[in-house]
Amino acid sequence: MSRFNLSSYKCRRPISAFSVSVAIVIVGCLLTPSSVLVGQQLNGARSEEWVDDLSSIIAADWNYQTAAHLLERGGFGATPEEIERITAMTPEAAIDWLVDYSDSPDTAPAYDLSPIWDLGMDPFPKSRAEAVRRARDTGSSMGVSILPEGESRRLQPVVNKFFYGLRSNAVETQRLATWWGERMLVSQRPLEEKMTLFWHGHFATGNNKVRDARMVYQQNEMLRAHATGNFSDLLHGILRDPAMLVYLDNGENVKGHPNENFGRELLELFTLGVGNYTEQDIREGSRAFTGWTNDVLEFKFDSAQHDFDPKTFLGQTGPFDGEDIIKIILQQPAAAEFIVSKLYRFFVREDISVGVRRNLAATFRDADYEVKSVLRRIFMSRDFYSSESYATQVKSPVHLVISTYKKLGLVELPTIPDFNRLTANLGQTLFNPPNVAGWAGGRTWVTPATLLQRGNLFRSVLYPDTDGFWAPDRVVPGIYRQVEERLAQGMNITAATQEGDAESSQLADRDEDYNTRYGGYMGYVMAFEKLHPIPRRVAELDMVTLLADAGSTTVEGVVDHLIQRFLRILPSASDRMVLVDFLRDELGTDQVISSTPQTEVALRALLYLILSTPEYQLA
Amino acid sequence: MSRFKCSCSRRDFLQKGLYGIGVGAALPLLVGRTSAALAAQAVTGTSMETSPERILVVVELSGGNDGLNTVVPYGNDEYYRVRPNLGIPESQVLKIEDGYGFHPALVGFERLYQEGNMAVVHGCGYDNPSLSHFSSMGYWHTGVPNGGETLGWVGRLADGAYDHDAQGNRIVNIGTRQSLAVRSRHHSPLVFNDPRTFRREGADSEKDAIGAMSADGERQNATLKFLSATAQNAAESSDFVRQASAAYQTPIDYGIGGLSRQLRQISALIHADMPTRLYYVAYQGNSFDTHVHQADPHARLLAYSADAIRGFTEDLKRIGRSKDVAVMVFTEFGRRVEENGSLGTDHGTATPMFIIGDHVKGGLYGEHPSLTMLDDGNLIKTTDFRRVYATMIKEWLKFDDADGVLKGSFNPIGAFV
Repeated sequence: MSRFNLSSYKCRRPISAFSVSVAIVIVGCLLTPSSVLVGQQLNGARSEEWVDDLSSIIAADWNYQTAAHLLERGGFGATPEEIERITAMTPEAAIDWLVDYSDSPDTAPAYDLSPIWDLGMDPFPKSRAEAVRRARDTGSSMGVSILPEGESRRLQPVVNKFFYGLRSNAVETQRLATWWGERMLVSQRPLEEKMTLFWHGHFATGNNKVRDARMVYQQNEMLRAHATGNFSDLLHGILRDPAMLVYLDNGENVKGHPNENFGRELLELFTLGVGNYTEQDIREGSRAFTGWTNDVLEFKFDSAQHDFDPKTFLGQTGPFDGEDIIKIILQQPAAAEFIVSKLYRFFVREDISVGVRRNLAATFRDADYEVKSVLRRIFMSRDFYSSESYATQVKSPVHLVISTYKKLGLVELPTIPDFNRLTANLGQTLFNPPNVAGWAGGRTWVTPATLLQRGNLFRSVLYPDTDGFWAPDRVVPGIYRQVEERLAQGMNITAATQEGDAESSQLADRDEDYNTRYGGYMGYVMAFEKLHPIPRRVAELDMVTLLADAGSTTVEGVVDHLIQRFLRILPSASDRMVLVDFLRDELGTDQVISSTPQTEVALRALLYLILSTPEYQLA
Repeated sequence: MSRFKCSCSRRDFLQKGLYGIGVGAALPLLVGRTSAALAAQAVTGTSMETSPERILVVVELSGGNDGLNTVVPYGNDEYYRVRPNLGIPESQVLKIEDGYGFHPALVGFERLYQEGNMAVVHGCGYDNPSLSHFSSMGYWHTGVPNGGETLGWVGRLADGAYDHDAQGNRIVNIGTRQSLAVRSRHHSPLVFNDPRTFRREGADSEKDAIGAMSADGERQNATLKFLSATAQNAAESSDFVRQASAAYQTPIDYGIGGLSRQLRQISALIHADMPTRLYYVAYQGNSFDTHVHQADPHARLLAYSADAIRGFTEDLKRIGRSKDVAVMVFTEFGRRVEENGSLGTDHGTATPMFIIGDHVKGGLYGEHPSLTMLDDGNLIKTTDFRRVYATMIKEWLKFDDADGVLKGSFNPIGAFV
C-alpha cells in the first residue's frame, strides 16, 4: 500500500467548487464527457476586467482553481487534497492561513552542519595565492605547516588545506540546499519558504564567493526569520550579515579607500533601483559603511576603519553611519515602490502598472514596511486572479522540481537524482545565484535547450538510475576522477596530474612548491572524510495506486486526472487526444484496471508527456 | 485492489526493451532533409545578403574588464602612480607599440597582434556612462545607452540583414541564458549550453506524441505562445547541433575555461555549415568584476580569453574558414583609474575593444583616454562603442543600414581590408 494514499480524495470534491459555466469535474466519481472539457479554461471565473483591479475577491469568486493558483504562487504548488482543504475555507481565511503562518507548526527538520571547520581556518584566505604567500611568510597557513626544507612540494599541505576549505564548503552548501529543498516540500508554511526564496534572490549571495557554508546557513535563517516581517528589520539584518558583507567586499571598505561594491548594490538592487540616486550618493553612502565588517560569523564595527566625517547622502548631510543611511533610504518614496514592484513580479506577473505600483507602495508605507500587508493585499486582489496573472508565470527551476514532487504526493525529497544537479541543469543553483542581481526569472528561465531539459529531467525521477548515479558529496568530479585513477595505477603526482598544453594556462599553474591539481583532488578527498553524507533515496512513486485512489479507471479518466493534477491551464482538445491515444496504445485497452508492471510503465510514460508540455512550465 | 510496486530502475526498463531506441550510441547520425536544406542555404545565402559566408562572433567579458591592465599604458608614468600595487611592471608587459602593451597573460593576443590580425580600439564607451553592471551591460547589449530599447543590437542586426523567413537559426547564443544582445523581433536565437544534452529524451512513441502536441498553434496565453515557439525552435535545431558537435574533432588546443568550450563549439557549427551568421558567447556570472585582490584572478581570466580566441582562430585556419569569421570582444565598462584599498578596482568607464580576423587591418585605433583629465576619477571615452558595432555591421558583414540597426549614425573605424 502506498504511503501517500489519496483515498480521501475520492468522490468528495464538491461540485460547487467549480465554475458553473464550465463543467470540468474531471476525476473521481463524476466523469464528464471529454467534449465539454476540451478547449475550456480550468476556471471560468477569472477575467480580463480584473486586470489591475486591487479590490478584494469575495466568497463567490473562490473555487478550486483560484485556491490552486494561490498555492502555486504563494507556495510550491499542492496536491488536490491540499487545494480542496483551502477551497473549503473563505478566501480571507485561506489567505490568513497562508500569510499568518506562525500559527502553523514548523515541522520541517532542523539543519545540522557538518564538522568541517577547525580553528586554523578562520579567517580563511581569499585566494590560493594569498594562502601560499601567508605560508611562505610565516611557515604556516590555515593551521597547517609547510614541510621542512629539502622535502619536495613543501607547500603542498597548505594548498591541500586551502582546497579542502573550498570543497568542503561547496559541498556543505549543496547539503544545505538539499535541506532547504526538503523544507520547501514538507513545510506546512509554504509562504515562509517561498518568501525566503524571494529574499534569497533579492539579497543574492553566493557561496562561490563567500566560501563559508556557516555564513550561508546563517543568512538563510535570518531571511526566513524576517520573511514576511518588517523590511527595515530585514535591511538591518542583511547589512550586518557576514555572508553579505563578504560577498560584497565590505570588509575591504575602509576609511580613505572606500570600496563601493556594497554601497552601490544597496541602492541599485536592494532598495531604490536605478534612477533614484546619483553616483555621488553611492560614494557618500559607501563611506558611511566603512568599518562595517565581520569577525568570521559575527558582525563587527571597526571604528578605526570607519569614516566619521560628514557625508551628503540623498540630499541630507551629517556624520552618517550605516544605520542613518538605512533610515534615509526608507524615507524615499522610491523604496516602497521598488520593493512592491519586485514582490509583484515574483508573485503576480512580469509588469506592474503605475497605478498598482503606487497603490501597493502606499499600503507598504502605511504599514510601516510590514511585508505581510502587501502580500495580503496582493493575494486578496482581483488582479492576482485575473487572466493576465493566472498561469502566466514560467516556473523557476526550483519551483518546477519541488512542485512536481508535491503534486506527486511525495513526503520526502528524492535525492536520486540529486536535487541540486536537477535545478542547476536548468539554470538555478540555490546559494549560488548568477550574480548579485539574483535570478532574472520569468521568460529568461527558458531557452530552446533548457525547455527540452525541463522535460527530460523528469525521466531521471520516473526512471531513477541508481546504478549510474554518482553523489557529488562522495565522488570526485570530472578531471579529478582521472587523477584518482592514475594515482591508483601507481603514477607519481606529476604524471597523474598532467593536463593540456595551452601556453598561458600552463605558465599560470606551474609552481615547483606545490601541485595545484593534486591539491584540488586532495581537497575533495579530505572533505569527504568530514562531510555528513546526503541520504540518497529515489522517489517513491506508485502511479497505479495514485490513480486507483483517485477513482480513474478509464484511459480518458486517467488523462484528465493527471491534467487536472499537474496543469493549471488545459491543453487543447487535439493535444488531449494525443495523450489519450498514447495511453490507449501503450496499454492496448481502454480500461486501466490492471496493476501490472506494464501499467505502471505506461502511466509513467504518460506523466512524462504531460510534464514535458509547454503548459506544464506555467505557474 | 492489489498494488504493484515498481522499482523501475533504468536497467529494468532497458532489459524490458521499453525504453525505446532514444538512447544508445548506435543511433545513426542522420542528417535529415531540414539539415541538408540548412547547409545548402549557408552557402548560397538569401537574396538580401551580399556576403553570406561572413560570420561575426561576439565575445562578452562580463563584469567589467580592467582595460588599463589589459592594454597597459606602460609608457605613461601616471599609470604607475595610480596603480602602485596593481600596475603591471614594464618589464612584464608584452609590448606592442606607442608605449602600450598587453598584460603578460595575453600571450595569445600578442601573437594575433604581431600577425597583423588584431585591431585594438582604445577608450571605448558612451556619454553619461553608467557605473552599474546591469544598466551599462544593458546599454552595450541594446546599443542604445539611456534609451530603454528592448531588443538587442545583434537581434536588430539579424532583423535588418537577414530574410525573416530564412530557414535555420541566424543567431546562436551559446550559454545557459539568452543574452539581451540577441533578442530579436523576427529571428528566434538558438540558445544552448551543452550540445550533448540538447535533445528530447524518450522512446520514439513518446517523442512522437510530444512532437504532435507542440504542433498545435491555438494559444491565448502570451507566455504559452512564447513557450510553444521556443519548443518548436528546439525541435528543429537540436539534432543538427548535437550531431555537428559530436562529429567535430580538432587537434587545436583552446586552453581551459568556459570560453574555450564555447568557441570550440562554434567551430563545430561553422564546420558543419550551420546557416548562422551571428554567434554570441559570454562569461558566466560577473567574472571580470575584480573589486578585491584582482591580480591573480584577472591574469587567469585574461589567459583563458586569449588562449581560447587564439585557439579558435587557429582552428578556423585549419578548417579553411578563417577568412569568413571576425571576432569582436567587449565588456560593459572598464574600471576606476585609481586602484582601491583592497588591491582591486571599482567600476569605471572607457575600455578597449578588440577585433580579430584575417581581414582585419591590425593595429591600435583611436586615442587612449587621458589618465589625468578624468571625470570623477574615471576615464573619458574617446571612441563611441557603436562605431565599432558599425564597423562590424558595415565593413565586415557588408550590411549597409548600420544606422537603422544602431538607431543613429556612427562612423566605422576602418578596421577591415
